[in-house]
Amino acid sequence: MRYLIGVGTYSGLDDSIGLRVAEAVSARGLESGFRAIEIGGSVLDLVHYLDDGVESVLVVDTARMGRAPGEWMIFEPGDVTSRKDLSCVSTHEGDVLGVVRFAVSLGRPMPRVTFLGIEPAQIGSGIGVSPELDERFEEYVEASVAFCMSRGNVRT
Amino acid sequence: MLRDLNVDIHHLTRVEGHGNIRVNVKDGVVEQCEWQVPEAPRFFESMLRGRHYSEVARITSRICGICSVGHTLASVKATESALGIVVTEQTKKLRTLLKHAENFDSHVLHIYVLVAPDLLGAPSVFPLVATHGEVVARALRLKRLGHEWGSLIAGRTTHPTTVVPGGFTRLPSAKDLAGMRDRLVESVPDLLATLETITALAPMIPAFDRPTEYMALSSAEEYALYDGFVQTVLPDGDRACYAVADYRSCTNEYVVPQSTAKYTRNRSDSYAVGALARFNVNHDQLHPEAKRVAASLGMQPYVTNPYMNSVAQVVEIVHSAYEGLRLIDELLAEGIAEESLVQPAGYGSGASAVEVPRGILFHEYAYDRDGMCTNANCIIPTNQNHANIQADFDVLLPHLLATPASEEQVGRAFEMLVRAYDPCISCSTHHLDVEFVR
Repeated sequence: MRYLIGVGTYSGLDDSIGLRVAEAVSARGLESGFRAIEIGGSVLDLVHYLDDGVESVLVVDTARMGRAPGEWMIFEPGDVTSRKDLSCVSTHEGDVLGVVRFAVSLGRPMPRVTFLGIEPAQIGSGIGVSPELDERFEEYVEASVAFCMSRGNVRT
Repeated sequence: MLRDLNVDIHHLTRVEGHGNIRVNVKDGVVEQCEWQVPEAPRFFESMLRGRHYSEVARITSRICGICSVGHTLASVKATESALGIVVTEQTKKLRTLLKHAENFDSHVLHIYVLVAPDLLGAPSVFPLVATHGEVVARALRLKRLGHEWGSLIAGRTTHPTTVVPGGFTRLPSAKDLAGMRDRLVESVPDLLATLETITALAPMIPAFDRPTEYMALSSAEEYALYDGFVQTVLPDGDRACYAVADYRSCTNEYVVPQSTAKYTRNRSDSYAVGALARFNVNHDQLHPEAKRVAASLGMQPYVTNPYMNSVAQVVEIVHSAYEGLRLIDELLAEGIAEESLVQPAGYGSGASAVEVPRGILFHEYAYDRDGMCTNANCIIPTNQNHANIQADFDVLLPHLLATPASEEQVGRAFEMLVRAYDPCISCSTHHLDVEFVR
């Protein structure tokens, strides 16, 4: 099984983009050979999808990458270091990369994990996404679906 | 004994959302001792106005990514109350089974991931992989069971899809329920091992008693999670009951300068909700296995140590596992019947209450004749606990100052106290923040 997993907070403005992409893929019936799910802020639930019964996982999430708002990148955990300085993990202010490292530390066989990171314009309290991300929403959906359908072989 | 103390914990970790602990003592005089919630309101109730009843639960489930099952259930129940919808016994049974799944899942997360590191002297669950690998593996097995149990009934545990006003859009098959039953039976060794772990760690739980008022959903039929009336008990055993429709008369929301979140009070200046409150109010209705676990942990009502809320969660994990088995057995014996959604029979106002992991949750809506929401009110458990946390702080500080505790130990005691309540202040952000290295 392959998974597209949306992470974020629905009421967190651009932090909701991963959830919205997963929701759109599922609602439009675009799941072909993979499943699109949302885990909201329960980032530790990601661990449940990181085992040897899973072929690949694409995590769609907001990512501060130093790009222009709305730009997106596909990368793997080894491509980046996290600037989040969290001495502890919380179920909310969590670090998805930290959760992936946690899963690796368990010593279990891991599926291929990839991120589709989207540079936010605005993160805060509120419903909806910024115009910069809204304008490119279809791109995110198409890129996510293409990636999952190609078994994770599409790189940008 | 400390005469000068400064504890300033900004954004306490391992709780859900943002809260601060500020304690300042100078020359033996307490200048500040506060639990502060600085988060901005999110106005979900306003967002619901003008929405059709079929959309409301979808929106309120987004209030929280952890308790989204509870918000969904409270939402559909309030809508059904307002629109005169009476759901079937099968629907009630499946929703109760789902409620157990959410509490099981959330309690496992809280005990193993958020509280255990305190008791094991670790900063988080991550380093425990190396030092307590089997405990972490067990935690993940139980967590996964709770997650998949909820997904089986609700479509998914985060933002459920199948639970709607009037019933379910999709029902689990008998085969899937039987499979979940097998997995619950297989989890018993992990539950027993959890009990052993907590028993071994119990001496690390601070000794601190502060009697308060406890509030929980109650029912004549069972240890209430999904339905019932509101009941509170004072430490002397005096009980009072309230209809869910009168929830405002027992919550009495008010505001304080130190917090953006509302406080509540009832017969006392503050009251507690959550696993310990449920235990104190409804102990007699726990499953016999859960009662046995409680007794083995030395718990008899009324337990007045707020740190014991986490231990009460262990008792409830056992309760939910066995109640889950009972409900699945009943559903399988009766057969899963395909049912149409029950349609509205009127319009007006309606309130509901369910027990989510952190305590009693109230939703209330009003709808017009077209089924559009005209008013909404939600009172979440964590807000009901804020005044009680502050009252604990006021007693805990002099208690700690009278001991040889260091400043670091005092700070940790306050942190552990807040974590014991398992607060879910709001959903904050989860974005990645990365630097490319290749």
